[in-house]
Amino acid sequence: MKTGFKRATVPLALLTLTALTAAGCNGGDSGSAANKVTVWMYPVIMDPKANAAYWDSIEKGFEAAHKGLDLTIEQLPWENRDQKLATAFGSGKGPDVVLLGPDQIPQFEAAGAVQPVDRAIEKSRDAFRPAALDAMTQDGKVYAAPIYHTVTSTLYNRKLLEKAGIKEPPATWDALKAAAPKLKRAGVATLDYSASNEASLNMSFYPLLWQAGGRVFDDSGKKTAFNSPEGVEALSFLVGLYKSGSVPRSALTNANLFTDHALGKEQVAMGYTNTPSDAALAEKTWGKGNAIVGPALTGPRKQVCFGMPGGLGINARTKNLAGAEKFIAYMTEPAQIASMGKAGGFFSPRTDVSVPHEGAFAKEYEAALAHTFPGEPHPAARQLMALITPEIQAALTGKKTPEQALEAAAKEGDDLLARQR
Amino acid sequence: MSKVEPREAFPDEPEPSESGTTARRGPAARPAPPDGPPPATEAVPTTVAGAAPGAVAGSTPEAAPGAVAGALPSPGEIIGGPPAGVRPGAAAGPDAAAGADAAAGAVTGTLPGDPSGVASSRGVPPGAAAGPGAAAGADAAGPGAAVGPGTDATRADAAAQADAATGAVAAGSPAAPAVVASAPGGPAGPGEARGGGRRGPMRRREALVGLAFVAPMLLLFLVFRFGPTLGAAFLSLTDYRLSGEWTFIGAANYTRLLEDDLFWESLGVTAVYTALYVPMTVLLALGTAVLLHRAFWLRGFFRGLFFLPYVTSIVLAAVIWKWIYEVEDGLLNAALGVLGAGPVDFLGDESLVLPSIAAASAWKGFGYSMLILLVGLQSVPREVTEAATIDGASAWQRFRWVTLPLLRPVLFFVLVIEAIQAFQVFDAMYVMTAGGPVRASYSLVYFLYDSGFKFFDFGYASAVGLVLFLIVLVFSLIQRRLIGREED
Repeated sequence: MKTGFKRATVPLALLTLTALTAAGCNGGDSGSAANKVTVWMYPVIMDPKANAAYWDSIEKGFEAAHKGLDLTIEQLPWENRDQKLATAFGSGKGPDVVLLGPDQIPQFEAAGAVQPVDRAIEKSRDAFRPAALDAMTQDGKVYAAPIYHTVTSTLYNRKLLEKAGIKEPPATWDALKAAAPKLKRAGVATLDYSASNEASLNMSFYPLLWQAGGRVFDDSGKKTAFNSPEGVEALSFLVGLYKSGSVPRSALTNANLFTDHALGKEQVAMGYTNTPSDAALAEKTWGKGNAIVGPALTGPRKQVCFGMPGGLGINARTKNLAGAEKFIAYMTEPAQIASMGKAGGFFSPRTDVSVPHEGAFAKEYEAALAHTFPGEPHPAARQLMALITPEIQAALTGKKTPEQALEAAAKEGDDLLARQR
Repeated sequence: MSKVEPREAFPDEPEPSESGTTARRGPAARPAPPDGPPPATEAVPTTVAGAAPGAVAGSTPEAAPGAVAGALPSPGEIIGGPPAGVRPGAAAGPDAAAGADAAAGAVTGTLPGDPSGVASSRGVPPGAAAGPGAAAGADAAGPGAAVGPGTDATRADAAAQADAATGAVAAGSPAAPAVVASAPGGPAGPGEARGGGRRGPMRRREALVGLAFVAPMLLLFLVFRFGPTLGAAFLSLTDYRLSGEWTFIGAANYTRLLEDDLFWESLGVTAVYTALYVPMTVLLALGTAVLLHRAFWLRGFFRGLFFLPYVTSIVLAAVIWKWIYEVEDGLLNAALGVLGAGPVDFLGDESLVLPSIAAASAWKGFGYSMLILLVGLQSVPREVTEAATIDGASAWQRFRWVTLPLLRPVLFFVLVIEAIQAFQVFDAMYVMTAGGPVRASYSLVYFLYDSGFKFFDFGYASAVGLVLFLIVLVFSLIQRRLIGREED
């Protein structure tokens, strides 16, 4: 019903219920009982049936290996993941173990919602890819044990490239700039981009920044560093493409979506932060052989793509720490890493385990794995993104020059960081 | 309550009848006593129906402050109720115009017995008071009580007056319900309703029964609305963290809010959006309501059709409108392309994004206001427009000078409700633009959402929520003042 009062109270109610329940039962019923372990899992395996079957087998396997422990893996959707976690953690109702990405950790850690998993991975610590473990680390403690590794890379539409007479998929900024006019003559855009506020900069602007040799934060983490000549170079590159129509106009509202967006609809020839599932979908919808996965895009200074480990973290208010740690130890065993990767099309976060892949682009993504960068974790990373994105939009729409946009974003960003504890 | 000012058309009408004080007391009163004047009997069903919308809508404000709070008539109720329902109120009194006004007030579900009180205390003709009186009755005691058992004398009196006022038309069907409606109305008038009987044991028992009826709603309201609101108010004074730890920080969140450019920016965006959305929606609703009112064929079908967007999910609607607005191959730009214009970046242009979203939201939301306005239109008595026609008024003049003034209370209600709606816009922006470009569509609720659920700054988000709450409250109070005030 469209009653104003009701709608006003919905957010209020959400916020308050969170608080009231938390205040009311502080430490009262967080986590589960002593012999129970509850896990929040997400559709990491795209096919729902395969996903259910996989986690079912994990439940059985774990319970067989740990008699007396009762494991429940609850499946949640990716949508509003942080919001749901925040509500659950805030009210002390969260799971014992939850799937976390590196970008979530600093914020949840700062909020006191998660606790270190170092004890759970004691034995296998050295086996992890150092970068994967680093990404999950805050203040020297690991907050999520990596169980898989994602990777993104370039994805090209062969049909469109050929239409424009381009034989070699552009793998560098220069090649890309050279290809843009030809593609434009062929009636298509060149580079897919996502400038929506709901798009993570890890999948949009930051890779360009890193390719230009720039950084988001300085080493102390107390100041922003993206307003550098490298940052300006990256944003200018993007704005130049946008202004000439080589980045589609719909980029402004795109949030890293493939289906029903420019790249999926074959209006743009390439993307540079595409996942294996994008590639699989492209192969299916564009026609066999029309999707090409290339190496990570090379900028003026670096060849880098975004990719991050997915890991398991522990609720700070769990009632069954021992059980949670046992589950994490189980999931990081080589057998589970291999089965997880195989089922989900992921890559191994451990150097001593490699995931056998049959997928069409496994080889290409395996190669890109070497160039992955998991982003720059920071408790204020998301707030900063919310400040930078509108400025990038301002640069794209021509309201500001790239210099002005980054300068404004850096000023707001530094204020934000100064306010942090 | 300017809307129930005495009408110039009947400046010399007598004061409301003072008789029949006991009318409409009984909670279980039947619509019309069988011994009423002939027209009354005929009008019974209509009258009952007429009471219904008022009762449904009216019950809400009782339970939820601001009149806006609770359940407004559900679509079904509206669709089913109004056509029959509004009639009686409309035709209620000799001064059918005032009656219509009051009936409209009742339908809009604002303050129960109020219109009647005000109207009659200002010496509006009896009929005028009567219509609202019926509505008030409905509010106070439930549909059944809408038409209380007035004394025969009252009814006869009212009937006589009605006859006198409406003259020859009295024989027609519209006039018939008027009689019945006016019967209880008379008593509901000026002093009596507030007089002696009020504090008597009967009255008190009635009040208790009434309380028992609203108790479940009241309880739900207290638990799920009032409680959380208080909780949020408290939360806004803390720095609540995900871990459950918090410290009391006083008004720090509010001072920070006042200094936060983003807050003012989002407030500005919201205000502009409201200024765009409300007129768009109300004009669209009024236009379609007028067309529907005129329609002879398939009226129900079109009414349902126009209402359909309202019951669609806003997210679905927003996704579809996003496609329509798309630059590359959107429907609108394709159409513009055929005309040789465009492409226009509806969602990517800072000055176009709010009008574009407002238009999409108006499409989605106008059905509700349309129904309310349609009910209002149907409550405009035919004899008034007929009279205007006889006087030689053109269709436009009739609409502008007769229909529109009579619609005023309904229009006010719709305006306020839509303004409140607009102030809470979030979903459309979340789906269509994510607040962009350059925060040109970053609304207050979006700001709240980001603060709470993206940055986990619950105390701060609660402060934003409370500010929003106050804004909505102000709108509600304005609405209250404009359309009615508490019975006591």
